[in-house]
Amino acid sequence: MNAKGAKEESIQTQLERSQAVRANIKRFYIYFVLALIVIIFSVAKLGQVEMFGRGHFLSPASVINLLRTAVPIMTLSGAFTLLMISGYIDLSVGSAMSLNAVVFALMILNGFPFLPALVITLILGIAMGALNGLLVMKLRITPVIATLVTLSLFKGIALLIVPDGLSAIKGSAEKVMPPWINDYARKNVLLGMPWAFFVALAVIAILVILQRKTILGKYAAAMGGNRTAAELSGINVVKMGWLLYIIVGFFAVLAGVARASYMSLGDPLSGDGMELDNIIAVLLGGTAFSGGEGSVAKTIIGALIIMCVTTGLMTVIPAYWQTVAKGSVLLFAVVLNHLLIREKVKA
Amino acid sequence: MNVETKQARKNTVAGRMSNESFLTLFMIGVLVVLFGIACAIVPNFFLPQNMLNLITNNWFIIILGIGVTFLLITGNFDMSVGGVIALTGVLSVYFCQGANVSQNALANGLGLPYGLAIALALLCAMGIGAINAFFIARLKVPSIIVTLGTMMLARGIAQVITRGAQRNTSLPDVFGVVGNIAIQGTSIKISVVIMVVLVSAAFIFERMTVSGRRTYLIGANAEAARLSGITVGRHLTFLYLISALLAGITGILLASEFKAGVSSRAMGYEFDALVVSLLGGVSIAGGFGSVLGMFVGAVILSVVTTSATGLLLSPDWQFTLKGIVTFIAILAQRFALDRRKG
Amino acid sequence: MKLTDNVLEIRDLVKDFPSVRAVNNVSFDIKRNTVHCLVGENGAGKSTLIKILTGAYARSSGKILLNGEEYSPHSPKNAKEKGISTLFQELNVVDQLTVEENLTLGMEDTTFGFLRKTDKINKMVSVMNSLEPSIRPRQLVSTLSVAKKQIVEIAKAVATESDIIIMDEPTAAISESEIARLFKIVKGLREKNVTVIYISHRLDEIFELGDYVTVMRDGKHIDTKPVSEIQDRSELIRMMIGKTVFEAYTPKKDPSREIILQVRNLSNHKLNDISFEVKKGEIVGFYGLVGAGKTELARAIYGVDEYEGEILFKGEKLHPSPHKVIEAGIALVPEERRSQGLFTILTIRGNVPVMNMGKVSRNGFINASQERKVTLEYIEKLRIATSSTEKEVIKLSGGNQQKVVFSKCLFADADLLMLDEPTRGIDVGAKSEIYGIIRRLSQEGKSILIFSSELPEIMNICDSIYLLYDGNLKAALQNGYDIDSEKIIHIVTGGE
Repeated sequence: MNAKGAKEESIQTQLERSQAVRANIKRFYIYFVLALIVIIFSVAKLGQVEMFGRGHFLSPASVINLLRTAVPIMTLSGAFTLLMISGYIDLSVGSAMSLNAVVFALMILNGFPFLPALVITLILGIAMGALNGLLVMKLRITPVIATLVTLSLFKGIALLIVPDGLSAIKGSAEKVMPPWINDYARKNVLLGMPWAFFVALAVIAILVILQRKTILGKYAAAMGGNRTAAELSGINVVKMGWLLYIIVGFFAVLAGVARASYMSLGDPLSGDGMELDNIIAVLLGGTAFSGGEGSVAKTIIGALIIMCVTTGLMTVIPAYWQTVAKGSVLLFAVVLNHLLIREKVKA
Repeated sequence: MNVETKQARKNTVAGRMSNESFLTLFMIGVLVVLFGIACAIVPNFFLPQNMLNLITNNWFIIILGIGVTFLLITGNFDMSVGGVIALTGVLSVYFCQGANVSQNALANGLGLPYGLAIALALLCAMGIGAINAFFIARLKVPSIIVTLGTMMLARGIAQVITRGAQRNTSLPDVFGVVGNIAIQGTSIKISVVIMVVLVSAAFIFERMTVSGRRTYLIGANAEAARLSGITVGRHLTFLYLISALLAGITGILLASEFKAGVSSRAMGYEFDALVVSLLGGVSIAGGFGSVLGMFVGAVILSVVTTSATGLLLSPDWQFTLKGIVTFIAILAQRFALDRRKG
Repeated sequence: MKLTDNVLEIRDLVKDFPSVRAVNNVSFDIKRNTVHCLVGENGAGKSTLIKILTGAYARSSGKILLNGEEYSPHSPKNAKEKGISTLFQELNVVDQLTVEENLTLGMEDTTFGFLRKTDKINKMVSVMNSLEPSIRPRQLVSTLSVAKKQIVEIAKAVATESDIIIMDEPTAAISESEIARLFKIVKGLREKNVTVIYISHRLDEIFELGDYVTVMRDGKHIDTKPVSEIQDRSELIRMMIGKTVFEAYTPKKDPSREIILQVRNLSNHKLNDISFEVKKGEIVGFYGLVGAGKTELARAIYGVDEYEGEILFKGEKLHPSPHKVIEAGIALVPEERRSQGLFTILTIRGNVPVMNMGKVSRNGFINASQERKVTLEYIEKLRIATSSTEKEVIKLSGGNQQKVVFSKCLFADADLLMLDEPTRGIDVGAKSEIYGIIRRLSQEGKSILIFSSELPEIMNICDSIYLLYDGNLKAALQNGYDIDSEKIIHIVTGGE
């Protein structure tokens, strides 16, 4: 190899080494951020409360509460990540979740047992996901606009189902909401956590496996990374995208059911803002908005971060600081994501 | 001069309708049809007051629609406008509430003169616009995400200043003037007049100014625009600042009308602004759309929502109707344009 | 199925476009398990032929036999399935997946959707290893150099048992040592039962790699010969340019000596230390083939790409931004008229005044009748075939579209015009009209830089000719009677 060749090789190795460093940062930064957030909230009120004592961020009661409220986003954000990896987005997940909660609560209120109510809601959710898929993949309407339209639709239908004058499907003097509706999302099953939590864990596991070990995850990344290459390799991008929207619809049902169970009612506005939470989680987790890259596991950590921030902030600042805090977190996540992904644009 | 050029001269004078004009006319047609149906099936629809309301009900959405339409033409969203309305309204109150007049913190402000207060409030609005521009034009982050973030930021600041509620005390008398005065002998508020002025100015901007033309060029082909010497980033910054300014003006007018700065004001207005722009024929694929169309879209939306109320449908039908109407409009416009292209 | 001697047989292939016959009754054979090179200048018909083979275009008439059977792919995907894989300049790999995942993309073995590790993967990886052992199957493709990405694509084509791999100018973007490695791989493909169709203008590569070479010119097949039977570069060059009579170039009567543009030591990722000067009213041609750096040079001067070095225009330093460059008095007619030069959904009137809106407006307000007047002027001046200023540009023919781009740039009142492939894909009539326009402009004192890969074009009108190869300025010539076109081709194909 001549001198020029040797120089090229050493530049190549240098490149590979710096890429390795960057790759490591990309792998571990998020745990660092999570740890930071937890530490901040743990020491925040140390003047007033004891470490791990009552009212402390890391007290058992507080942790259980945090995890229970985190169930919907943990159930949903995995599927959301998969969709974003393929290069598409669904802004209607919040309203879908609300509609699912409403329908589920309605059925429970009217005497349906848990499982049949769940199954029927699942069918509804799959149909809703299929609608999104139709608008985006088949009719080729821009995903943002298409899912804003369905957001409106789902929210509208949920509001119409709820009887006038009442703000949610809930029990009343005439018709009592069966108390066991609470069990799924609140009743202690193991270590203080309810069924819904373990279902969420299972969902996370499933989605992580789906992303890493199945053809669904691989094709999603291929579609998002280089659509032409994917199509040339024989991947049916339209069908794949459609399927991914349906999957999001499916898990939106589980999230909605968990929320309805937790609140003992079906609130047509209960899912508002869920799409933003999902976007923040996904951004923190390093998924590129343009697709191709992403990790379900990291998104889940991102979801935990946002939950910590939301619940943690509630203990240190009044409720009316929530929105500005969340907006700042989103913009922070945008910057973080931009710095992480920037190298891809260069290459 | 050859035969073709002679023909070209003739045809130029005769003028061939642009696609925007075609779609605007199409939507006017849709409006007429819907209007006819409404008159037929909705009791008491065809009343003079109702007709007037169709245009005056929505004045704030129309003003927002100006900025949103221009940005959509370039292929960008602005979902922060609702939050900016809330922020500007709250700030305009806070800045001119009397200082140290009360024990209640929410009744104390900065005591500035009204003119200065609204000027500062507008400046803050444009600050939000500047944040949008930075992320979108400079960092090239997708506009939907950024503007959802700044929406929360703006509204969040409003919530902090009002502690989640509103500020409405210790205001100078002049505060309630601009939002409430009406034209002599009518019930038409000045706000509506301002809206008409702004839309007309926007229409002139879009059709007749170099800057307006630039908007279309960027939307049609950003790369070609750059190679033709257009500073795309600068123009997008301009548009985001304008959008924020328009939202700011709306916020001041609304705060004045209700003599209060409410942190929950204008919830969902950004979505309505998007809807009326889409109804007006704007294409997010870029380079295509018109504020006149947006105006027609706003009237269409008014007809639909007024009919719904007239038919005694509960206000909860709003969301579903808006979704369905938007969807049908998108498809219909696509269909009409495809047919036109032959 | 009996394996025929010829893997591909092309018979009387014709491809017509509305204004030109791009492929004109081409017939030749490609023998199995050889490296078969395809050479020819721009416009010779090579790319059209390849697009037909890859299923991107449908042929107008003629027959193609692949392995003795009728071959008529209706899409690139279909071509791949039938056994013809292509290595394009835009790499078809997914950066975010690993090498292994790319190799198996679309061909995974699964159980209920779960990806299975089977022998298929091992087989593909071993093919990969035999080509380039330093590529680890688990590494992300994004970490690979362009050259290694190419190898991954080759490995995939080989492992999927493609009969033919078409390589289109594969060495344009890779370094010398990587080229050597690529050659080793290409030569080895013959033993793996793969035939390679190798397109390149770097003639040395033909002699090093090729078993056979097909020369095309003006859409016609000139000859197909074993490389061993070709004497030297000159013979090949002569086949490529034939007896083309270049339109007589007439030198200027009174050339100005005033220097308007000075480029000093211009370098960037593609260009190497380029320096030259342009005089007022001079027509300067930059000639080179694919990957020579012509567009990169134009873009650097225009301020679109970054560069090191200095550019002085009218004595002042040129700021690297299109906006400022246009203000200083330079306009660019870009390479891709539809995606870079025009606003296709707008009308002619919407396009023409764009670069100098100040002239059709006052205080920021557009004077519509002035716009129309100006547009009509240019429609007349450049003879754009249209019945109205309000015609959507997308409906015009290629030649007329280019004229609109020209109008746009002319209206910018530039003192120096840069034209990147100004007559690509344009019919003969429109071409000579455009040459007339260029000559007229030069008479009026405007300087023109033409970046082109069509030699007749350069020879026809340019006063000075610069030859580019691989980002380097290889030679500077004055156009005249004694210009040696063979020597020119020799230099732009890598000779010294």
